[in-house]
Amino acid sequence: MEETLQHHTYTKDNAVFPFCKGCGHHHYVNHLDEALFALNIDPKNVCIVSDIGCIGILDSLFATPHTFHTTHGRSTAFATGIELADGILRNSKLKTIVVIGDGGATIGLLHLVNAALMNVDVTVILANNFLYGMTGGQHSQFSPLEFVTPTTPAGNIVPPIDICSIMKSCGATYIKQAVATDKNLGSIIADAVNHPGFAMVEVLELCTEWAVPFNKFDGKTMNEKLRHSNDGGVPQRKDFATLYKEKVLGNLKKTIDDTVTPAYTSALNGSRRIVLAGTAGEKVQLASFLYMKSAIASGLHATQKNDNPVTQGSGFSLSELCVSNDEILFTGIDQPDAVIIASADGLKEVLANGTLSRCVAETIIIADQTLPEFECAGKISRLPLRALCTGSRAALSALAALNVVKGWISQDALWEMIDGKFKDKSGSFHRDIEALMPFIKT
Amino acid sequence: MIAEGALHAGCQFFAGYPITPASGVYKAMIEQLPQRNGVAISAPDEISALAYCVGASGRGIKAMTASSGPGWSLMIETVQYALMTELPVVIALVQRLGPSTGGATQNGQADILFTEFCTSGGYTIPMFAPSTPQECYEVTTIAFKWAELLRTPVIILSDKEVGMMSEDVDFIKLVSAPVSYRKEFSTKNGTEHHTYDFQNLEDVPLFSPVGGDYKVTMTGSAHDKKGTLQKNSRETIDVLLHLQAKIDAHAEEMSIIRIDNEEQANTLVVSFGITARTAREAIRRARLAGKKVRNANVISLFPVPGTALQAAAAGVKRIVVAEENLTGQYRSVIRSLFPDQEIVGVNAVGTLITPKNIMDALL
Ligand code: SF4
Ligand SMILES: [Mg+2]
Repeated sequence: MEETLQHHTYTKDNAVFPFCKGCGHHHYVNHLDEALFALNIDPKNVCIVSDIGCIGILDSLFATPHTFHTTHGRSTAFATGIELADGILRNSKLKTIVVIGDGGATIGLLHLVNAALMNVDVTVILANNFLYGMTGGQHSQFSPLEFVTPTTPAGNIVPPIDICSIMKSCGATYIKQAVATDKNLGSIIADAVNHPGFAMVEVLELCTEWAVPFNKFDGKTMNEKLRHSNDGGVPQRKDFATLYKEKVLGNLKKTIDDTVTPAYTSALNGSRRIVLAGTAGEKVQLASFLYMKSAIASGLHATQKNDNPVTQGSGFSLSELCVSNDEILFTGIDQPDAVIIASADGLKEVLANGTLSRCVAETIIIADQTLPEFECAGKISRLPLRALCTGSRAALSALAALNVVKGWISQDALWEMIDGKFKDKSGSFHRDIEALMPFIKT
Repeated sequence: MIAEGALHAGCQFFAGYPITPASGVYKAMIEQLPQRNGVAISAPDEISALAYCVGASGRGIKAMTASSGPGWSLMIETVQYALMTELPVVIALVQRLGPSTGGATQNGQADILFTEFCTSGGYTIPMFAPSTPQECYEVTTIAFKWAELLRTPVIILSDKEVGMMSEDVDFIKLVSAPVSYRKEFSTKNGTEHHTYDFQNLEDVPLFSPVGGDYKVTMTGSAHDKKGTLQKNSRETIDVLLHLQAKIDAHAEEMSIIRIDNEEQANTLVVSFGITARTAREAIRRARLAGKKVRNANVISLFPVPGTALQAAAAGVKRIVVAEENLTGQYRSVIRSLFPDQEIVGVNAVGTLITPKNIMDALL
C-alpha cells in the first residue's frame, strides 16, 4: 500500500513512487494528496512548486494540479512570483504550495525568510530528513548533532537550523512541525494550505538509504528526540497581496515631471563641453542639471554625466555637460571649452582624471581663488567663488556668470530654471552673478 | 527610457535589486508601475528578483528585471530556467566595468560573451543594444515583442554611458514595436494541451498560464512535449532542438543594423551601444577630411545578424570593430563572417573610445 498511490483526484493512476523503500517521502506525498482531497479544491487552482532533490520529483506523481519544477532551493522564490502575480494582478485563485527538502531550504533559506516576512499567500511544506538524499547523503544544515552521514563520519559537530524558530522570527503566521507518520499530517497540511498568508509545515522524515544505516535512528527516536514544540505563528496579519492592493496599487504619487518645452532660442553653432568639479553636497550636479534643462529649453541638444566616489555624500562631485545645436554623438569630453573648479576636492579630481591635461589655450578655467596653483593650458580666472557665493552656490553661480559672458544658451531660460527651482531664495544667485562678472577673463 | 519602453510594451511586473548603473530603471519602475496597476517589487537579491519575474510570467504576466554584471552573475541559473521552460522575460543589463564588482560608475562593453553564452548548452538568447535614450525605448518594446512571441528570455544590453547619462529626448519622435502577447492555447483548435507542444521544431508552443484552465507542467529538466521528465527519448531531444530552432527561424526578422552607407568605402566601422555614437562622430569627422568610410551600428547583437553584416561589408577592404572591452568580444563573434577581409579592433578598458581612436584605424 505504501509503495503505490491510492486512487485520488489529484494524482496519477497507478503511479509508481520513485523513492527508496521506507522513505518518509511516501507519507509526505500521500498526506499532501489527502489534504488536497479533503479541501476539495479544483486542481486548476493549485500550483505545486518543487525543486531539486528526491522530494523535488514529486511533481511527476501529480496528474491534475499545475506543477513548477524549479532550480535547487529556489522553489519558494518562484512561488512568491507566481503568488504576487496571482494575488495582485489576477483573481487570487491559486493555492501555491512549495515542496522543498531540508537541502533546498538551506540553499534557499533567504527565499523562505522573505516569503515569511512579506507574508505572501504561499504554503511551504518542508520535508526534513536531515540530509541531502539525492546527492549521496551528505549532511545538511538541518542535521542534528552527532548525526552520522558520508560527510560527517565522526558525527555532526555543528548544531542544526531550527526552521520553526526562524520562521517565527520572520513573522510567519502559521508554523507547524509534524512527523511524516503522524496520522493527522493530512489535516495539518490542509489547514496550512487554507491559511491566508504564509504558512510553513516542517515534516520530519527518515531517509532509509542514508540516515537509517549509520545512525541509531527510527521513527521512535525521531519522535522522542527531534520533535519540539515550537509550533504556532505570530498573530494573523494581512497578506502581501492584500496590503499591496490597498496601499500601493493605483497609488497616484506625483512623480517629477522632467518635460521641457523649447520656448527660448540660442544662436549657438556647434557644441560646447563644460566640466563642473566641486565637493559632494555642494549642488554641483544640480547646477549641471539646471543648465542642461535650460539648454534644452533654448532649443539645443544637451547631455549631462555625473561622477562621484562610491559613497555619494562625501568627497568630490563632478559633472560633464555638452550643449549643441546638432545631435550629440560622442558623449565624452576630449577637449573642454570650460572647466569650473569650485573646491579643493574638485581640483584634485580634475587633476586625477586628466580633464586639465586635455585643456587647450582657448579653454576657460574658472577656479576658486583659494585653491593652490595648478598647471593647465587654458585661460585661468581665479574668482572668490566660495567667499562671495558660499560653497553651495559656487558651481551654479560660476556657470551662470560664464553663460552671461559667453551666451551659449539662453540666459532667460537659465534664470527661469533657477527662479523656478530656488523660488524666493533665487535672489542670492542674481547677486552672486553681479559680483562675479568683473572677475571673468575670456 | 527602458522603463518607459517597458510600460508601453505592457509590462505589468517588475522585480529588481538596485545596482549602479541600472538603478534608474529600478527606480522608475518602482515609482511608475503601481500607478499603472502593475506590480513592482524590491527583491532582497538578484536571484529572488529574476525568480519572481519568471514565476509571474508563468502566471501569464509580462515581466522585466534590470541589473548589471555583478547582479547578472546571480541570475544566470534562473535565466536558463526561463529559457528551458519557455517563459518570456526581459532582462535589462546596464554594463559597468568588470570583473567582479569592478567599477560601479565606470563604463564597460565587456559583458557580451558572458551574457550571451551564459547557458549550459549554448542556446541563443536574443540580445539588443541601444545607443541613445530613444533606442532604449524602442529596443525595450522590441525585446518584449520577441520575448512574448518566441516564449524566451530576451536581453537588453545597455551600458553605463547610455544608461546614466541625462539627455534631451523628443517624445514625439519615439518609435516602438507593436505590442505583442504570447499566443494562448485554447481547445477550439481541437488539440489537447501540452505545455511544450509544437508541430515543427521552430513552432512556438501555445501558452497557458498556471492557474489557467489547462494543466501546466513546468520543468527546467529535460522533458518531452508534455513536460514529463525524460532522458534521451527522441521527443526530448526534439524539444532541445526546438529551443534553438524557434530562435534561428526568426533570426532574419530580429536583425537590426543601422547602416550609414558610402558606396566607395574602403573601411566599414562596426559598433554598438555607446560606441556606436562615437563611431558616428568619427565617421562625420573622417568624411569631412575626405575619407570614404561606411558605418554599421549593430542593434541586434544576437542572433548574429550575419547576412546584414556581410551585405554591409560588401566591397570594403577593412572592417573595424570598435567596442569597449579588452579582447574584442564581438569581433571574435563575427570574425568568421569575413574570411577574405581584414578585421581589426579598436578597444579600450575603463575609458571611453574617442572618435580619434576610431579615425586612426580607418584606411
Ligand atoms: S535517498 Fe533517502 S530521501 Fe532519497 S528516496 Fe531514498 S530514502 Fe528517500
Ligand atoms: Mg533532505
